[in-house]
Amino acid sequence: MSSGRIFLLMATALYFFSGCEKVVQVNLNKATPQIIIQGNVTNEAGPYTVSITRSVPFDNSNVFPPVTGAVVKIKDVTAGITDILTETMPGVYNTATVQGTAGSTYTLEVMTDNKTYTASSTMPGIVVLDSVSFFINTFFGTTLTNPLPNFQDPPDADNYYFFKQLINRKPVKTFFVFDDRLSQGRYISRQLFNDSAYIKNLDTVELEMRCIDKNVYNYFNHIIEAQGGGNSGPVAAPGNPASNISNGAFGYFSAHTVQRKAGVFKE
Amino acid sequence: MKLIIALLLLSLLPHYTFSQAQKFIINGTVRDKETGETLIGANVMISGQAGLGAVSNAYGFYSVSAAAGAYKMLVSFSGYVTDTIAVELSNNIELPVALEKYKEQLQEVVITSGRKNANVSRPLMGVQKLSIDEIKNVPVIFGEKDILKTIQLLPGIKSAGEGNSGFYVRGGSADQNLVLLDEAVVYNASHLLGFFSTFNSDAIKDVTVYKGGMPAEYGGRLSSVIDIKMNDGNNKKFGVGGGIGLIASRLNLEGPIVKEKGSFIVSARRTYADVFLKLSADSALKNNVLYFYDLNAKANYKLNDKNRIFLSAYTGRDNFGFGTAFGIDYGNLTGTLRWNHIFNKRLFSNTSLIYSNYSYRIKIKAGNNDLLITSKIRDLNFKEDLQYFINARSRINFGVNIIHHNIVPGVVTVSESSSFNNLTLQKKYSLESAAYVSHEWSISPAVNLTYGLRASMFNVLGPGTFYSYYANNDVKDSVVKKRGEVLKTYQYLEPRAAVSWLLNPSQSIKFSYTRNVQNLHLLSNATGASPTDLWVGSSNNIRPRIADQLSFGYFRNFKNNVWEMSAEVYYKKLQNEIDYKTGAELRANENIEAALLFGEGRTYGLELFLKKRYGKLNGWIGYTLAKAERKFDGINNGEYFNATQDRRHEVSVVGIYQASKKWTFSATFVYYTGNAVTFPSGKYNIDGQTVFLYSKRNDYRMPAYHRLDLAATLQGKKRKKYESSWSFSIYNAYNRANAFSIDFKDDPDDASKTQAVQTTLFKIVPSVTYNFKF
Repeated sequence: MSSGRIFLLMATALYFFSGCEKVVQVNLNKATPQIIIQGNVTNEAGPYTVSITRSVPFDNSNVFPPVTGAVVKIKDVTAGITDILTETMPGVYNTATVQGTAGSTYTLEVMTDNKTYTASSTMPGIVVLDSVSFFINTFFGTTLTNPLPNFQDPPDADNYYFFKQLINRKPVKTFFVFDDRLSQGRYISRQLFNDSAYIKNLDTVELEMRCIDKNVYNYFNHIIEAQGGGNSGPVAAPGNPASNISNGAFGYFSAHTVQRKAGVFKE
Repeated sequence: MKLIIALLLLSLLPHYTFSQAQKFIINGTVRDKETGETLIGANVMISGQAGLGAVSNAYGFYSVSAAAGAYKMLVSFSGYVTDTIAVELSNNIELPVALEKYKEQLQEVVITSGRKNANVSRPLMGVQKLSIDEIKNVPVIFGEKDILKTIQLLPGIKSAGEGNSGFYVRGGSADQNLVLLDEAVVYNASHLLGFFSTFNSDAIKDVTVYKGGMPAEYGGRLSSVIDIKMNDGNNKKFGVGGGIGLIASRLNLEGPIVKEKGSFIVSARRTYADVFLKLSADSALKNNVLYFYDLNAKANYKLNDKNRIFLSAYTGRDNFGFGTAFGIDYGNLTGTLRWNHIFNKRLFSNTSLIYSNYSYRIKIKAGNNDLLITSKIRDLNFKEDLQYFINARSRINFGVNIIHHNIVPGVVTVSESSSFNNLTLQKKYSLESAAYVSHEWSISPAVNLTYGLRASMFNVLGPGTFYSYYANNDVKDSVVKKRGEVLKTYQYLEPRAAVSWLLNPSQSIKFSYTRNVQNLHLLSNATGASPTDLWVGSSNNIRPRIADQLSFGYFRNFKNNVWEMSAEVYYKKLQNEIDYKTGAELRANENIEAALLFGEGRTYGLELFLKKRYGKLNGWIGYTLAKAERKFDGINNGEYFNATQDRRHEVSVVGIYQASKKWTFSATFVYYTGNAVTFPSGKYNIDGQTVFLYSKRNDYRMPAYHRLDLAATLQGKKRKKYESSWSFSIYNAYNRANAFSIDFKDDPDDASKTQAVQTTLFKIVPSVTYNFKF
């Protein structure tokens, strides 16, 4: 069901040999810089990182000013341990003592510019990533190869998955999320659709799979939908994703499990 | 509800029955002399009796009355020679009328005393009627003349844009248009994502568009009624016609079943560009499928002078397939069985049984994932319409309508090894019924009034489990209903009124008020309508949408009615409009109603229209100045924002020039302000990916759209048995790169930058078609 409309449009345009693309200048407003917080706690060994930046206008370079001098705390609610993070680089704050465990709940507190932002996330149980395989799609004579994670979805819980790819150790910018709403208890092999990264013969593709909680899934899913990568094609009126951080901050705080598996694509 | 109707009828009737005693009635059917096709909307006038006249109804039937005496009856219809018939009226008479088409298209029309100023003198406003003959020279893409495309060149009716199947009327959304084909609802009126409409011009007689002031017999959609009538078929002789084009070919058969008593018509059309794909040596191309077809059939038979039956059917389907990996097909199936019955000289009735079905199927096969998704909406519809001709000044229309809706939102069937589960979304049942009465009344030769009332009811039916939700989308409560049990009932009264005041024979002012209620809603949060968008009925969560429209117009004809001009202003208030929460999942979602937001809207505008109806050069210019806004709690801080279909200016120009008996040239030009869109106002980085920051909803504009199309028709020598013509057309003649979309993304050549990329679907497209008839 995914991207049906895109297929049709592609086909129609190709069919009549007339579609075309060009880069255009759009006169965009400059929004007031917003605070962007990203915090992760994983089941891997620490330290864990919280990064705080600000947004920039669209026409600027992709350089995001760090927010320095913030007071950042992560608390392991289950174990009752609070960790005060240290700023190791401008805008980057690291934990010292806290250790991520599946099933535990963590809270984040950030104080900066006389404002306090809080968030909470519970680390889901591990779902084992078995392997990485590949699928070759053919559209009108061109081929597109995508990786597939292969794993067994647990039948007794609602699960939310996040994937990132490294092609020949180089990270691909795009991330993917899906849930088991339509796949409860299935053995899942689902294509991660690349639209800008192309996999060639003998490329090594490493997948990072995260099991994330529902709020974090919603956050990433909203981003993908707004960016036009959603199931139903570009959204008519994209909006800002609902963050799990309070007080109007953008970004997310996620406690999740991490696994990595690689595969080599052979034609 | 029934009580109100009965009271209304009773209050109207006595008023007229007194003064009827010495009057006699003339009635009959108006037809084309050559083919026997009935003519809808022909004017029947009695000379020397100002204001005495009638208009033939949807079946060509008319009825007028006058006191005993000698009269001349004038019957006129656009594109036909006016017929003058001497009538000696001393008793009721039946008088069939056959009008002759203008043979020489070049011939200047002699304006007769017939009612050529109907556009000025009748109370209907916001209405346009086009026949296939009028549009046959208007250029369209790939030379396929298309009545639904042509009406989008009229003011107030806006194309949703290339690659979008819908159209917007006076600031309403695409699902607020009631598209009827011989009374059957066509749920998706487009092929190939909107590049063609589902209406094959060979099969269509005419179309009437109501943008406001809808008569009470229509209901169920807020913005417009597009009433399309199929040809009845030639009842005099057998004929074959067709066309061969680059993209599609058409074939049309028609003829009498029993001469003068009944006729049939069968029209077919299919695109065949995929045939060329099959010829390709590339196996990857060979396996692709891409076509659509339409099949229209209609038959009618006159049982006797009082009874005639009609059977019409339509089916059409689009089929796309990319090897075995992905396939989608979708289409409509409609059928209408009608029975015209003339109870007596005054009372005409039509009873219809109507079937409508729209369905789609998606097949996906990728590795071990085999999926089949099916969905449909199916209506069974009973309609009874009665027309009571009180006298030449007064007519009452009344009737009832009951529709049973059955919606199958989605059934997903998967293979054993699929990553997905089988899924059947709960089927939805509902009953939509209405009763109406309206009165068309010439109060004086200068003042005409049509007023009426439609009482509508919607029942949400079981079986099923019905949920209500908290604001965070979690289920709050549920109710189980058995088959046929009513979960929820909505009832509304929809008043309709229109009045015209003739200042002099060529100028009038008109006013109308209409309330419409809509119980079916098309859910789509993507940029354009898709064939897989889901229809949902009103429910415990979704309230019926309501529109109240006021409009005011000034109408004027010049130079013996050769030129007509109108200026209309409208204001429309919308209630219970639907929008979506951020991240709303509309696909395969049992709790889809939790993802919706409800709000209100307002739209207003000015529409100017200038048309030259006759002469070597004819055509029209339309201009619309408009605004369309919506307001929702939870979007834009609860303030009004521009609706997607908000466009400030829209211009359309249509010109047809008959250079000689052989050559006809035509051109259309359209310009409109870009749609209101949401573009980013900033950006940040999340997990390595650039994410955009949005501020206000629909605060930006797409670039303005404009396009010129040209066409030329070369009429072949007319032979006794064979006629042919060539039509050449150029779509987007000056090769404008109009924006289909603008996407924001990382610059592929410089990771530190982002860029805006505009996609254009169609640049210049030439085409040629050969048409024949024998």
